[in-house]
Amino acid sequence: MRVLAIDTALEACSAAILDTDRTDGATSRSVPMTRGHAEALMPLIAAVMAEARMEFADLDRVAVTIGPGSFTGLRVGVAAARGIALAAGKPAIGLTTLAALAAPVLEADDGNAVLAVINARHDRVYMQLFGPGGRSLVPPRVASTRDAIRAAVARPTRIVGNAAQLIEDAWPDGEPRPLMVSAVSAPDIVSVARLGAASADLTAPVKPLYLGDADAHPQEAGIVPRR
Amino acid sequence: MLVLGIETTCDETAAAVVERHDDGRATIRSNVVLSQIAEHAAFGGVVPEIAARAHVEALDRIIAAAMADAGREFGALDGVAAAAGPGLIGGVIVGLITAKAIALVHQKPLIAVNHLEAHALTARLTDGTPFPYCVFLASGGHTQIVAVRGVGDYVRLGTTRDDAIGEAFDKTAKLLGLGYPGGPRVEQEAARGDASRFMLPRPMLGRPDADFSLSGLKTALRLEAEKVAPLTDQDVADLSASFQLAVVEMVVDRLQQGLRIFRQRFGAPSALVAAGGVAANQAIREALRKLALQDQVALVVPPPSLCTDNAAMIAWAGAERLAHGLCDKLDTSPRARWPLEQVDKPRPDPPSHDGRLIAHGVALSTPSPLVGEGWGGGSSRCGTEVPSGSTPTPTPAPSVVA
Repeated sequence: MRVLAIDTALEACSAAILDTDRTDGATSRSVPMTRGHAEALMPLIAAVMAEARMEFADLDRVAVTIGPGSFTGLRVGVAAARGIALAAGKPAIGLTTLAALAAPVLEADDGNAVLAVINARHDRVYMQLFGPGGRSLVPPRVASTRDAIRAAVARPTRIVGNAAQLIEDAWPDGEPRPLMVSAVSAPDIVSVARLGAASADLTAPVKPLYLGDADAHPQEAGIVPRR
Repeated sequence: MLVLGIETTCDETAAAVVERHDDGRATIRSNVVLSQIAEHAAFGGVVPEIAARAHVEALDRIIAAAMADAGREFGALDGVAAAAGPGLIGGVIVGLITAKAIALVHQKPLIAVNHLEAHALTARLTDGTPFPYCVFLASGGHTQIVAVRGVGDYVRLGTTRDDAIGEAFDKTAKLLGLGYPGGPRVEQEAARGDASRFMLPRPMLGRPDADFSLSGLKTALRLEAEKVAPLTDQDVADLSASFQLAVVEMVVDRLQQGLRIFRQRFGAPSALVAAGGVAANQAIREALRKLALQDQVALVVPPPSLCTDNAAMIAWAGAERLAHGLCDKLDTSPRARWPLEQVDKPRPDPPSHDGRLIAHGVALSTPSPLVGEGWGGGSSRCGTEVPSGSTPTPTPAPSVVA
């Protein structure tokens, strides 16, 4: 199974090639950035493809993080994945950033819960809580920092994501501290590739997962009354 | 030369395949447009975030439809063009990234087309109009008079100081409760109205420059409407007609100035060309016909489907640029703002690129030949065909995807 993985959802621009039949690991590049994904991504993919000596025709699928994250970043990644999938005639697979953030933590030890958290600003986070074995206990949602902590505080929990520090700082004094705090700013791109290779669902359309509406309101003001 | 074009700068998701023949003639092989009007109607105008969301979920199947309509495979393309701005940045990003992806997979030249340039070159797609010519470009976002002297060689002779004409139509429609999109609705109401009933100002009339101003007209219309409110159906029709007539008279006056300035600076234009959604308005088309007759200049008004936003014009502009050896690198930026005068011009000896991308101080070494040369880099591999005069072939009607 040969997977091209793409992530531009958060504070990095990343691409990886994973060939599950090979034992010498994945080829990947990840550049930290808060803006400029639309410029950087395609040369980065070209570089990773060349380094892995991979042709688009040889790929089995394209995996991409669909969010939650920066609305613009999500669209850069999803448009790229869908464009490559269309042009190469390969399936595209969408993975959430929250699952991608939790994956390496669960891979290391799946005996304890993982709270994946991404800063959604205004004291809110995008969150997902995974129980032992990686089972999703709270599906992806937007929550206040307080509600996110409330969901996780009952059990020994590891926290991962760019809001991990925020959560730890707000952790209530009387409660047992988190087992681990990993304030990574973007998913590990090889984890995205592995999840992509393992994913069974090739039929669902790959769409951004915004977890927020477009913040538009119908405009009725300013209309001169009609008889 | 076969080019795929992608247009996502506003509220149309569009893809088209256009062939530019060696003699400069054009054939539109396919032209697919998906309008987002329904998504935006409730908001009385285009909501950028809603537009961006709609583009990313529709574009790939629109491209697939355009390729299928054209009966061609991606491998048969000579280039992939996308509107890289100016426009709503969320949509521009989706279109440009998708074009980059197709260009990368099939190792084709990428052409980042200026949306205004595509409108300006449409007359060559439909009518083979020779340079130089004078374009009246008017849409919901733009109102300009432009001297088109060659591919990449544009001089703006006049522009609006405030609202675009299409924007003024939309605001008028909103004011009168006619809904969105406003242009066609105001035109419809105006057709059964009395244009002489309300005295509205003709801003800029008689000034020696070729600029426009719409905001005073908009305010005057509101005041007149409020005087007679609550509005009857006839009031709405009469207000629409009075507004439309004021716009038409301003357009005629401004174009007379624009043509005068054009002749002064560049000699006689081969034609006066209308472009943009406003050129779909029948009253404006009629006024342009009279003006051209009186001014003794040929008039080129492309069919409405090629005046409003479409991807055939993007593909065509891409083909014209490619024929001049102009293409773009895979790290090209999408742009919300991109004045027409700032598009790259053909150069006899283009500078070479070293194939490295600098992103926030981090140098990403990009392996040659994948990115450094050929379709990703300089212009030598883009093609250096010399353009020639052209005559058009009939263009098929666009297919509209529901």
